[in-house]
Amino acid sequence: MNQTARRPSPSGAAMIGLFLAYMLIPIAATYLFSVATKWDATILPEGFTTEWYVTAFNHAYFASSLTNSFIVSLSAVLIGLLLVVPTTYWVHARLTGAKPLLELLMILPFGIPTVVLALALIRVYSFPPLGRSPFLLIGAMIVFSMPFMYRPVSNSLAAINVRILTEAAYNLGASTFQVLGRVIAPNIMPGILSGSLLVFATVFAEFTLANLITGAGFKTFPVLLVEFTRRDGRVAAALAVISFTIAWIASLAILGIARRGKTTHETVRAR
Amino acid sequence: MGLFALKSRQRFAPWLGLVPFLAFCLAFEIIPIIVLVRGSISDSDGVLTFANYQRVSAPLYVRSLWNSIQLSAITASLGTLLGLFIGYAIFNWPSERFRESLIALSDVTTNFAGAPLAFAFIVILGSNGVITLLFERQLGLELYPAFSIYSYSGLVLAYVYFQLPLMVLLIIPAFAGLRREWRESALNLGASTRQYWRRIGMPLLLPSLLSGFILLFANAFGAYATAYTLAGSRLSLVTLQIGFSVTGEVRHEPGVGDALAVVSLITMGMCVLAYQLLNLRMRSEMR
Repeated sequence: MNQTARRPSPSGAAMIGLFLAYMLIPIAATYLFSVATKWDATILPEGFTTEWYVTAFNHAYFASSLTNSFIVSLSAVLIGLLLVVPTTYWVHARLTGAKPLLELLMILPFGIPTVVLALALIRVYSFPPLGRSPFLLIGAMIVFSMPFMYRPVSNSLAAINVRILTEAAYNLGASTFQVLGRVIAPNIMPGILSGSLLVFATVFAEFTLANLITGAGFKTFPVLLVEFTRRDGRVAAALAVISFTIAWIASLAILGIARRGKTTHETVRAR
Repeated sequence: MGLFALKSRQRFAPWLGLVPFLAFCLAFEIIPIIVLVRGSISDSDGVLTFANYQRVSAPLYVRSLWNSIQLSAITASLGTLLGLFIGYAIFNWPSERFRESLIALSDVTTNFAGAPLAFAFIVILGSNGVITLLFERQLGLELYPAFSIYSYSGLVLAYVYFQLPLMVLLIIPAFAGLRREWRESALNLGASTRQYWRRIGMPLLLPSLLSGFILLFANAFGAYATAYTLAGSRLSLVTLQIGFSVTGEVRHEPGVGDALAVVSLITMGMCVLAYQLLNLRMRSEMR
């Protein structure tokens, strides 16, 4: 702002105070609740303990559900990358006429409620090896998360001169794979990284598809969490805190990438 | 003829690059949806029928549809209204650093709401929640049974939690689009701040508010995890009913789940379409 230092208006400050309270109290309370011994009539808990975390860690399904969630999230990121990045590059470099089609296909998942996607997939793939399997779940997760990969990758591609880079690399004798791997990918790394983190975090937290497609057969972390909300609130709080922490780490990493991208962009402009 | 074949091959060869992606979309998105729609209008022998849609007109399903529409409309309105004021407060905040942190907070809270967040509301406002008990023992204020986090009022509170930051993210660019000179010239010509907002500011923000409201509506209509965690089978929403038809937690007549799914697909599809059209129009007007 090039204005002289302003002070926030009282009404603006009050509004933002309420906003912060609304956004942060539920999360902060869950963090505190997960380490509290007794907390039922005071502003802060009466004592602290790690008991609920120990119970959670020792639960039969804790390790397996965490592993399952990591398998599903990492597979969605990897396959999503292989599917979305080359396609988006191809459309930007060689097939600009297909851009509306690609945009449409990337908006479509927003118009499909996750319950409907789950129901539709289960109806079609009711036979092995896909029926109610982790494979089907990963496929569903990719459909649901590919717009999150597409947006940052497409923005990064729009910011560089794809055609000229591609032509130059071809003229120097590079193959299509070399162009993509050695020339384009390094130039759009911020987009690829934020897209991957966003896909990882949303898939990791996704409950609906996991609950309806694999359910008890292949429990993911959010499915275990919801199960515990009905059984043991203390342990559920510990699991919720782990979920929140993963989401925050991913978000901070995305922000860090965006900020770094912006500063390099600005330094380039300043020159 | 050979030349023509060569030419058309050159023309169509680039499309081959799209084959893996299109194949994936067909297999996991388009074909399943087509099969679902076809299933909803045919009986078990594959004969065309609208019986499934007639079954959906039973009071239970009509009520679930109505509850979903109402919940989406209420939380989208609250989200739009609160988001407008809070977005303006954020936009006008002097410190850029704090402004960016608030925008980042909105980004995180709107993206990662769901089961853990729903549970966080149980922690503070459940029947034995921290705030519920604090109010009861320290202030003698009993929230229950007038309010319950497991009921409609609780769902509104939990939904607005992810609706409000989404609106904040959508409206801040719209505030940035209002030029300072417009306001200055209006004030110089003798308009009051109130007149400026009523005659110039609000009409310019209106398309953004409308498209934001539509997106928020769709956002709430398709939500499942929050409602499932909080209300379970105590409350009837369309997405919950569709979920029950998959898990078999509640017995349904066959085909009803498919018909409900198609109805919600059409509702969501229309919202997303309207949102896209509004945005296209805004972008072309900007030029």
